[in-house]
Amino acid sequence: MALAIRRSTSEVFGAAKWFIRRDCRALSTLPEKAVEVPVEKKRDRPVVSRIRANARNPNLALRHVYPEFLPDPNPKWRNSLREKLERTDMLNRRKQIDIPEFYVGSILAVTVADPHAQGKTNRFVGICIERKGAGLRAEFTLRNVVDHQGVEVRYDLYDPTVHSIQVLRLEKRLDDKLLYLRDALPEYSTFPFDMDPEILPDGTPVPVNPVQVKLKPRPWLERWERQELQGVSNIEEHLKEKDRVRRELRKEPWEKYDLMKQYRKTIPIEDQNDIWAEVNHQLKQLQLTRKKVSRKRTFGVPKTQLG
Amino acid sequence: MVTGSLNLLRNSFNKLRIDHIFSRSFQTPRYRPPYWYEPKERVPSEEFITQENKQFIEEVMQDKLQQQASLHSPLVNIDSSKAAEWNPQTRRVGLIARKIGNYPLWTKDGKKVLTTLLQVVDNHVIRYIPPEEFSPMVTKKYVWKEKNKLGCLLVGSETIDPSTVTKEYCGLFNNAGMLPKRHLFRFMVSPESYIPPGTPLQATHFRVGDYIDVRAKTMDRGFQGVIKRWGFKGMPASHGVTKTHRRPGNIGSGGEKARVWPGTKMPGHMGNRWRILRGVKILRINTKHNVIWTLGVAIPGETGAMCYLFDTILPLKKHTTSPAFPTQPFVEDLPLEYYDESVQPFEEQSITFEEN
Amino acid sequence: MNQADVSKLVSKLRINVLPKHRNLNNPKGPEGRIDKLRKTVTGLIKFERIELNYNRADEARQYAERLISEAIRHGDCHKPTMDTANFWLLEKELIHKLFKVLVPRYEATNLSYTRLISAPQQQYGRHTDKAVLELRGNPFPDLMNYKTNNKLLIQNVLLDAAKQDYKQSKINEIANNIGKKGNSSLDKSSKNIEVPEKPTES
Repeated sequence: MALAIRRSTSEVFGAAKWFIRRDCRALSTLPEKAVEVPVEKKRDRPVVSRIRANARNPNLALRHVYPEFLPDPNPKWRNSLREKLERTDMLNRRKQIDIPEFYVGSILAVTVADPHAQGKTNRFVGICIERKGAGLRAEFTLRNVVDHQGVEVRYDLYDPTVHSIQVLRLEKRLDDKLLYLRDALPEYSTFPFDMDPEILPDGTPVPVNPVQVKLKPRPWLERWERQELQGVSNIEEHLKEKDRVRRELRKEPWEKYDLMKQYRKTIPIEDQNDIWAEVNHQLKQLQLTRKKVSRKRTFGVPKTQLG
Repeated sequence: MVTGSLNLLRNSFNKLRIDHIFSRSFQTPRYRPPYWYEPKERVPSEEFITQENKQFIEEVMQDKLQQQASLHSPLVNIDSSKAAEWNPQTRRVGLIARKIGNYPLWTKDGKKVLTTLLQVVDNHVIRYIPPEEFSPMVTKKYVWKEKNKLGCLLVGSETIDPSTVTKEYCGLFNNAGMLPKRHLFRFMVSPESYIPPGTPLQATHFRVGDYIDVRAKTMDRGFQGVIKRWGFKGMPASHGVTKTHRRPGNIGSGGEKARVWPGTKMPGHMGNRWRILRGVKILRINTKHNVIWTLGVAIPGETGAMCYLFDTILPLKKHTTSPAFPTQPFVEDLPLEYYDESVQPFEEQSITFEEN
Repeated sequence: MNQADVSKLVSKLRINVLPKHRNLNNPKGPEGRIDKLRKTVTGLIKFERIELNYNRADEARQYAERLISEAIRHGDCHKPTMDTANFWLLEKELIHKLFKVLVPRYEATNLSYTRLISAPQQQYGRHTDKAVLELRGNPFPDLMNYKTNNKLLIQNVLLDAAKQDYKQSKINEIANNIGKKGNSSLDKSSKNIEVPEKPTES
């Protein structure tokens, strides 16, 4: 309040001054412009804040598409040379196969070389329920229901036995991890193996699928009610009074204000800028070549689809 | 008169106290540092040097660094015809490396293996002590030594600012024309694998597919109980067990053996000891950054710890053919990476399995 | 190896951060720890210089630095930042101070926003490490006693002389090299350090 009052008084003073000066000017013979110049100069003094300039880097958006290029934030395991070598290896692998942009919730088809399979390759289709790991350890998990049996396969993103990763439907879900699909009704994780890829037009943002799944009755694999999930609709049906009380007791409302906890989980902007500056050019090149290849593909003869 | 003097005597005896008792006993041999050892740590002090003088010191430092970088390897000047041949009995020099992390590689048959990355940082030979002159320090343990058969090669790693260490320590490096190094280590070598001081050592000293021994300090875990330290099973959490869930239980029997036997596994300090991991396979070598990829994650120490690499002494994994002897001389145009034949390089196409 | 969190962006702190937080003994657990630090951060922003236990000072310093860097990055029209400031500053007039006094003060700086100086220990009583935590650019007199670097000190006089000599020798060398420009190839070969002969076995 005090500041507000001070401000208003200062404004009043300023206005009064302006009036007086204006009147005086009208009386004097001096030109008007000469007085106003210094006032303008004061206003637009340039303040160079490095923090703001660094945060404006457009490369930072890459972190959502290529999260595995950021190293593990634990300082005990960090080493600049090892991270650099790891990144060159990742780029080398990306030159061999096309690792597309995908998110948790996208539906993928992965073909891997398998010495025990018929024809020596194995293809699996499923929804990506988890994506984790940094560097060459990056991995993702696909889930599907085959013959009324839930199946999950974990793939390494940079495994040389992977022959192709195809995105059948590019979309996000409401949550970062979809592990609750294990306790959901099977129709939410059932996808046909002969799904056709859905192609999004260029430049459209990745759509978010707002579907809310229904959980099976308890017992569950985890205490889903404590995880603040957006993508589950019927969680309250299965809870007892005891669970609701415990959920309230376990809440940690101060955690989102714990600034250092966030800091220790992330890679700071300045470090990220260095990383993206190093890999951005090569990633762009890879994207361009991929586009050329995909354009060629569209002109090819379309495959006959099974009914 | 007499009683007075007696009283005086008594008083003076009363004042006598026994505070210290000296007795001779057998003393273990004192630590005698090797004669090339000089104290390294220097107490830093504020010197109130002006800005211009600080710049001057920095300039001299940079000049010296340049001078060191422009030094040619003395190995080039030695004619190879004179040099001795390698045989399975010779011992070569090793390397000082830093552990920089772990990451996976894939083998040709599609298996994922975890590897440890070791960076060979700026290694130089500092001094050679021939077998006749070499007399190591006395230690408590009796160590069997091959008498006067092996010489000693001092190898240093990682150049540091000379103003941070003592003058005596810097003097060790003078005859090789080097700036002081952070780490010094002695390697026992057979006299034919002598390398002149000032020679840089590269990661290509070892070949891909070779087996090495790695000596390093294990992670310090502090005072630990018996479950973590020795892998005891502990006792159940329930079924009537009280207060003995993580305890060792019985530590001995009665009767004749009613005491704690030497070597009984008990709680105590764990880690921070020198350990040697033998027979580690080299999977890949980067010649630009001098990095060695070794199989497995069992190399002791944290990320950033130093370790010492030797040719292995395991009889079945020893060199069968001649390695680079006495060491690989510096060559400009080496290939960037060497891969073991079992490893799938990331630059190659995806793995496919042939149908039989 | 875990993936870094990509949902939030933070600017790098200009101070050393330990790999793990300190627990700061508290019967109420993590909530009590944060409460404790809130009081300290509020005090620091209010008084600009405080004396307290070292561990608590170091923890509070990190939170204060993060708060100021967030304020600089987002300004006062960003709701989440305002919320955080509201949470961390218990006296609400300090929010105005943060955005209107401290942000302009630290916008252009390349240094950390706070200083942590370890204070002398108590002579009697329980031994605890004490520290002084202060905001940079505070109105109080400086705590550190910077001695002038006198040119007439003996080490500076000697270094000056050495500098002269060094420059002179460099100039001489260049002059010599100009004279011998023709046979520079010979020079190079003589520069190679001589190989110490391998000690012969007797």
